[in-house]
Amino acid sequence: MSSTMVTGSVDTHQASGSGFSLKEWVFTTDHKRVAVLYMIGAFAAFLVAGIMAILMRTELASLGPTVTDNPAAYNTWLYFHGAAMILGYQIPALTGFFANYYVPLMIGAKDVAFPRVNALSVWLFWMGLVVALLTFVIPDPPDIMWTGYPPYSILTGGNTAFYTFTVLLMGFSSIAAGVNFLTTIIYMRAPGMAWSKLNIFIWCTLAAFIIQIIFVPILGVAVTMLSLDKYLGTHFFNAAAGGSALIYENLFWFYSHPAVYVIFLPAVGLIYEIVATFARNRIFNHMKMVYYGIFGVLALTGLVWAHHLYIAGIPNWMVLIHVFTTLVISIPVGLLMIGLLGTLYKGSIQYSTPMLYAAGFLFLFLIGGLTGIPNAMSAIYMHLTDTYWMPGHFHYVMAVSMTTAILGGTYYVLPKMTGRMYSETLGKLGFFLFFIGVNITFMFTLLMGVKGLPRRYYDYQQFPELEWMQQWATIGSYIILLGALVVLVSWLHCAFFGMRVGPNPWGSRSLEWTHAPSPPPPGNFGGEVRVPEDWSPYGYGK
Amino acid sequence: MNGHAHELKWHTSYWPLLVSVGTLFLAPLAFGFYFVYKMPLAAFVCLGIGAPLVLISIIGWVREGLEDEHGYSAGLSVWAMPFFIVAEAFLFVGFFAAYWVTRLTAPFWPPPGTPEMSMAVPVVMTFILVASSFTIHLAEGKIEDERYDGKGFIFWLAVTMVLGAVFLGISAFEWTELYHHGFVFGTNVFSSSFFSITGFHGSHVLVGLALFLCILLPALSGKVNKAFVKSASVYWHFVDVVWFFVVSQLYFW
Repeated sequence: MSSTMVTGSVDTHQASGSGFSLKEWVFTTDHKRVAVLYMIGAFAAFLVAGIMAILMRTELASLGPTVTDNPAAYNTWLYFHGAAMILGYQIPALTGFFANYYVPLMIGAKDVAFPRVNALSVWLFWMGLVVALLTFVIPDPPDIMWTGYPPYSILTGGNTAFYTFTVLLMGFSSIAAGVNFLTTIIYMRAPGMAWSKLNIFIWCTLAAFIIQIIFVPILGVAVTMLSLDKYLGTHFFNAAAGGSALIYENLFWFYSHPAVYVIFLPAVGLIYEIVATFARNRIFNHMKMVYYGIFGVLALTGLVWAHHLYIAGIPNWMVLIHVFTTLVISIPVGLLMIGLLGTLYKGSIQYSTPMLYAAGFLFLFLIGGLTGIPNAMSAIYMHLTDTYWMPGHFHYVMAVSMTTAILGGTYYVLPKMTGRMYSETLGKLGFFLFFIGVNITFMFTLLMGVKGLPRRYYDYQQFPELEWMQQWATIGSYIILLGALVVLVSWLHCAFFGMRVGPNPWGSRSLEWTHAPSPPPPGNFGGEVRVPEDWSPYGYGK
Repeated sequence: MNGHAHELKWHTSYWPLLVSVGTLFLAPLAFGFYFVYKMPLAAFVCLGIGAPLVLISIIGWVREGLEDEHGYSAGLSVWAMPFFIVAEAFLFVGFFAAYWVTRLTAPFWPPPGTPEMSMAVPVVMTFILVASSFTIHLAEGKIEDERYDGKGFIFWLAVTMVLGAVFLGISAFEWTELYHHGFVFGTNVFSSSFFSITGFHGSHVLVGLALFLCILLPALSGKVNKAFVKSASVYWHFVDVVWFFVVSQLYFW
């Protein structure tokens, strides 16, 4: 079955031996190179937005002005950190970089359905990134967090238009990618690649893109109305003229809560791939995880947005419904976690760097998930909202646990992308720095929330007794930065000096490892791929 | 495999990057200079850079598409269009949701400042758009394999485009009339929704016309991509369906 891969690996040297050509990168339509373009953009956004976090943490390390005495500067960091981390880093890393790299390889296709549209997606994302980065050079930069709530976003002197256009460019990029990848997954699977044989990551990506094409337009509408209100004088969110800011908040979260699952699903898909490979085990109840876990999340994703608005002035019946639906959606999410544990159970686990990240994910997501359950209940939420508890919770559940998936997933795919192996020492060092750093920072963030410290402000004069906690959180953030730099160094080291390895260093059974050389040539497999009747991407022990 | 040597080439295309850069100038930069920083000259310079870039890229893209470098996925656009239409539909869902929430929570409707709307205009516009859906269907029939009729195709496609253009013309006429009655974007909450929704729908008609132009010009020299025609036609029917919602909820309900 996998004998074709030997001839395939001979082909690579002919293809990649022709040397570096800038034109073949900048104007590329090949999914693997588009993936690299996404990767560069997403991690650049991660780095710059991370520097904003370091600035904010340093500002908070002491009472009173520390880095700046201008609170408006803090607001701009806050804006860029949130907007770039979610729209510029997490979503493009997962639905851009990983989806592009894996989908055609895992389903046995030569490329995506519309390669030129794929290139359009990545470049529109880059243009959105450019508009976001202009924040640092324009006068009156946006200062409206990543949420852009009116009336502040309309009344502020900041440039709300660039917020709108960042969202619109990246949104259109996501919709184009969604149309492209849904078509690819449905119509371009290799002969014999039945639905029941698809990798979990493919199912997760499919669900994530279904969410994108349904909900992204809603966010597009919301931010468009925002700029219409601010610059063209409409009254959608103007309470004085009969509009309502609540309309914006509802439309915004109607997309932005599902966006959490756009990030969560592919991230958990990556963790599944890593866990199955490094535990040498089948996926625990593979198709049940797809039907009840992934589709369960998909079914409920559009019904939980108002848990962001419990105290915004929505009617009580709406609050009650969303308490219920929010608690219910933790069932399919919990099921996906049980699937991971079941896959580890009686596996032959090997703790390489990607597997360490997967283990870190399980811990961080557990804390994030457990701190989320009280938030779902409106009576408890009222006391916790707008305190440091909230950033503590969503950094655990979304920011850092999804980042473990992204970083671990990158370590996992690096040997395929480069044909070289990373250094385990550097990989593990980076992981432990990152893992220790995030726990210090966000444990203290949660604790300060319980003490009632309000979030978003650049100073905390009324809470001098919390200064030591702020300092610990800041120390944690420096450890995270150090970890991120070690990770970056280890990737560059891998790409340029790593030991050459064969096409399947992990001994995985999945198509991208068994059938494609590393790195895969144009067309991926050097021929048609046929999937035998009894094949499974997780067929260990057969 | 005979396509082996072909596969070893890295595929490239200039147009995706160029159209993206054009969009950057055309939308965020031009809008930002004009509305945020009040620098109209810089805004027009951005338009001057962006518009030609986008136009040239679209032309280049269409020509490249007709040569069909990536022949292996030819025909899939018909299956992709429904997904795109789902996204488009939710764009209107967002606008209508905001409109209905505003309307149902208003103390009275329509709000003060709204003039008497002409009912004849939307009826005429509906007839024109429905007629254009029929004509594009006729055009599609002319390129079926059994009885291919290139001239008939071009004729019915052109008729569709004329109908679409007339629709936009009437819409522009109506907007001007309302403007003279003092009913503009910022008049009240109804005018905000009215101009946004009709404007968004009009922009979809415009995109449909642009798609048809991208089909018509190559068709004149005999190049027709059937899957592309079918996708554009499905898109046009969608724009037609959305109009029923627009007309029923903004004018008659």
